Amino acid sequence: MYKKLSKTLLASSMAAALLLAGCGGQDSAEKSNAAPKKDDPNEEVTLTFWDENAGPQRTPIWEELIKRFEEENPNIDVEYVGLPKDSAKTKYDAAIAANDTPDVGSVQTSWLPEFSLRDALLPLDSYFEGWDQKDKINAGAIDFNKDIVNDNKLYGIPYTQNLDILWVRPDWFKEKGTKIPETWDEFFTAIEEQTDKANNRYGYTIRGGAGGSFQLQRLMYAYSGEEEYIKDGKSTINSPEHAEFLKKYFALYKEYTPKSDITNGYKEMIAGFDTGAVAMVQHNIGSFGEHSEALEPDQFQAIPLPKTPDGKYVAEGGNTIGVSIFKDTEHPEAAWKFTSFLNSKESQSYWNQEVGQIPTNADVLEEAWVKESPHIQTAFKVYDDPNTILYKPPFYLPEYRSILDSTVDSGTQAVLSGKMSVEDFLDEWATAVEEAQKKYDEHFKK
Amino acid sequence: MNRKSQQKFDRLFTLNIPILAMLIFTLFPLYWTINTAFKQEGEIVQRPLSYLPVSPTIDNFVTAWTNVGFSTYFKNSLLVGVCTVLIVLVLSTLSGYALSRYKFKGKRPFLLMLLCTQFIPRSMLIIPLFIIFKNMGLISNPLSLIITYAAVEIPFTTVLMNGFISNVPRELEEAAMIDGCNRLQAIRHVIFPLLIPGIVATSVFTFIYTWNEFLLALMLTNQQGRFTLPVGLSYMMGEFNINYGALAAGSVIALIPAIILFAYAQKHLVNGMGGAVKG
Repeated sequence: MYKKLSKTLLASSMAAALLLAGCGGQDSAEKSNAAPKKDDPNEEVTLTFWDENAGPQRTPIWEELIKRFEEENPNIDVEYVGLPKDSAKTKYDAAIAANDTPDVGSVQTSWLPEFSLRDALLPLDSYFEGWDQKDKINAGAIDFNKDIVNDNKLYGIPYTQNLDILWVRPDWFKEKGTKIPETWDEFFTAIEEQTDKANNRYGYTIRGGAGGSFQLQRLMYAYSGEEEYIKDGKSTINSPEHAEFLKKYFALYKEYTPKSDITNGYKEMIAGFDTGAVAMVQHNIGSFGEHSEALEPDQFQAIPLPKTPDGKYVAEGGNTIGVSIFKDTEHPEAAWKFTSFLNSKESQSYWNQEVGQIPTNADVLEEAWVKESPHIQTAFKVYDDPNTILYKPPFYLPEYRSILDSTVDSGTQAVLSGKMSVEDFLDEWATAVEEAQKKYDEHFKK
Repeated sequence: MNRKSQQKFDRLFTLNIPILAMLIFTLFPLYWTINTAFKQEGEIVQRPLSYLPVSPTIDNFVTAWTNVGFSTYFKNSLLVGVCTVLIVLVLSTLSGYALSRYKFKGKRPFLLMLLCTQFIPRSMLIIPLFIIFKNMGLISNPLSLIITYAAVEIPFTTVLMNGFISNVPRELEEAAMIDGCNRLQAIRHVIFPLLIPGIVATSVFTFIYTWNEFLLALMLTNQQGRFTLPVGLSYMMGEFNINYGALAAGSVIALIPAIILFAYAQKHLVNGMGGAVKG
C-alpha cells in the first residue's frame, strides 16, 4: 500500500517537474526570440539600462534614444528595463545588495552618495576628462555631484535638471490688479489679494501631506538665503529666519488656503490649481504637462520663487537626474559610449523637450524649443544667474530622506493643526539632522 | 396597513435599501474606472465631470495593450498564475489529506508552524530570495515567481484543504477501501469529487494572489518582457503625469480574468467558504 502510494507520489512529483520544465522551456524559447543576434559576433555587446521613472510618457523616449544609439553602434545592444518611480530605489537597493546591477542606469543625484558608499558605481572622472563635449555640461551640476559623495569622484553625468517655482494664474492676477510676486512681501500680499472665499477661491495651497517636506525646505532656504544646511555640526534648519518665515507661511492655512491642505499630496495640490480653486501653487516645472492639459495657455505661468532680501535667487542643489555606470559592468567602454551618447546635444535636446525639463548641455539651451518655452526660460534664468545661491542638502546622510518623510511631514501637520509650535517643530527637525550628522562623522572619523 | 404590505415595507427597509446602498458603494468605483477607461484624455480632467463618456474611445485600451505592453504582461501573469495554481493544488491537497487523516507526532506544532509562516513580512525576503534565485540562474525567469508564490501560498492552502477534507466523512473512504480501492484510488474517486468546492476556493485564492502580487514580481525580474500585470499598472503613475485613461483601461483589462473566474466559481466558492468555516 505504502509502496503504491510512494510510487504515485513519485509519479505526481515527476509530473510537477515536467510541468515546471515546460514553463522553463517556453521561457528559453522566448529568450532567443527577444534578443536577435547582431551580424558581428566578435564585438557583440549587450548593455542593460535601467530607467528609474518608467511609464507611457518616458519609456518611448528612452526607446527612441536607444534605437538611435544602436543604429550608430550596430555592435552594441541596449536592453531597456523600466522601473516604476515609487519602487525604483528599492529595486536598485536589492540589485546592489545581490551584486546584480545593470550596466548603465538613470540615477537620481540624491542617491549617488549612498550608492557610491556601497561601492556600486564606477568613477567616471577619467572618461569625462577625455570627452570632447565635457565643457558643454553644466559645470555647477558636475561639481555638485562630486561634492556630495564621500570620495569626491564623479559618479553620474546629469542629463536633466528641475527647479521649484511658483505656478500662478496670470488672468486672475490681471483681473484684480495683483502684482506678480518678486519679493516675499509681495508673495504674501498676492495671496491675500487673490483670496475670495465667497467664490470658493483661495490665494494659495500648502502641501501638508506626503512630500510636503521637500517643498517646504526649498521655500525656507529661498526665504533665508542660507547657503549651508549644516554648519560645524549645527543645522541651519531652526534659524530665526526660518522660524519667522514658517510663522507667516503657516498662518495662511485656512485663512487664505483650503482647509483640506493639511492632507494635500501632489495630486490634490495640483488638482486645486488645475480646477481653478487656487491662484498660486508651489511646485516644479515638471507639472507643466498637467497644467497645459487642464488650463488654457493664458491661465498659467511659471515664476521663480521670490528673491532673498538682498535680491538673490536660491535653488536646491542636486535637483538633477544623471546617467551612472555600475562597477560590475563587463563593458565599461561601451557603457561610457552610451552614457556620453545620452548626454550629447541631440539626445538631451530630444529627452528634455519631450519631458519638459531643463537640459544640462549648454548647446541645447540655444535651441528654438527652449527659447519658446517660457517655463524652461524661467528655470534657466534662475540657474544661469551668477548670484543664484545653490544650497546643499545632506544627501549623504542615510537618514536624510526618512527625516523629511517622517519627522517633517508629520510635524507640518502637527503645526497646521495647532498641536505644535513652529519653534518646537524646527528644533525637532534640526536635532534629527544633527544627530544623523554626528553618527555619520563618527563612522567616517572626520 | 395589512400584514402583507407591512411585510413588504419591512423588507424594503431591512433588505432592499441596504443591499442597494451596498451595491452602489461597491460598484461605483468599478463604474468610474470603466467610465474613465472610455474617456478621452482631455475629458477625464475636465470639470464639470461627465458621468458617461461624451465621445467614447478605445484609445486608452490600445495605449495600455500595445504601447505600454499589457499584452506581454497579461501573458506572463497568466503563465505564472496557472502554473502556481496547479502546483499549489497538487501539493496542498496531498498535505491537507495527510494532516486530516493521519495521526503523527507533532501534528499540532506543525499546523501552528504553517500558520506562522504567514506572519513573515514579504519585503524582508526580497534580498535573500534574489540572491538564491540569482545563484540558480532563475532571475527574470517565470519559474522564480512560480516557486516563490507556491511556497508562500502552500502553508495557507494546506490548512484550508485540511479543513475541507476533514469535512468529508472518513466512512465514505473506508467503504471504498472495503470495496477494493487503495488509498489513492479512494482519494481520487470518493474524496476528490466532494472536494471540488474547496479546490475551486483554493484555486481562486491562489490565482488572485499571483495576479495582484507586485513587489516580488518587480524584484525578481530584470527584463522588460518578463514583468507581470501589476508592474505594468504601476508604470501609469509617475509623479508628474498620471495617465488616468490608460491606468483605468489597464485596470479593466486586469479585472477581466478575475471577474470571469469569480463568475464561474461563485457557486463553489460560497460552498467552499462554508466548508472552511465548519472545518
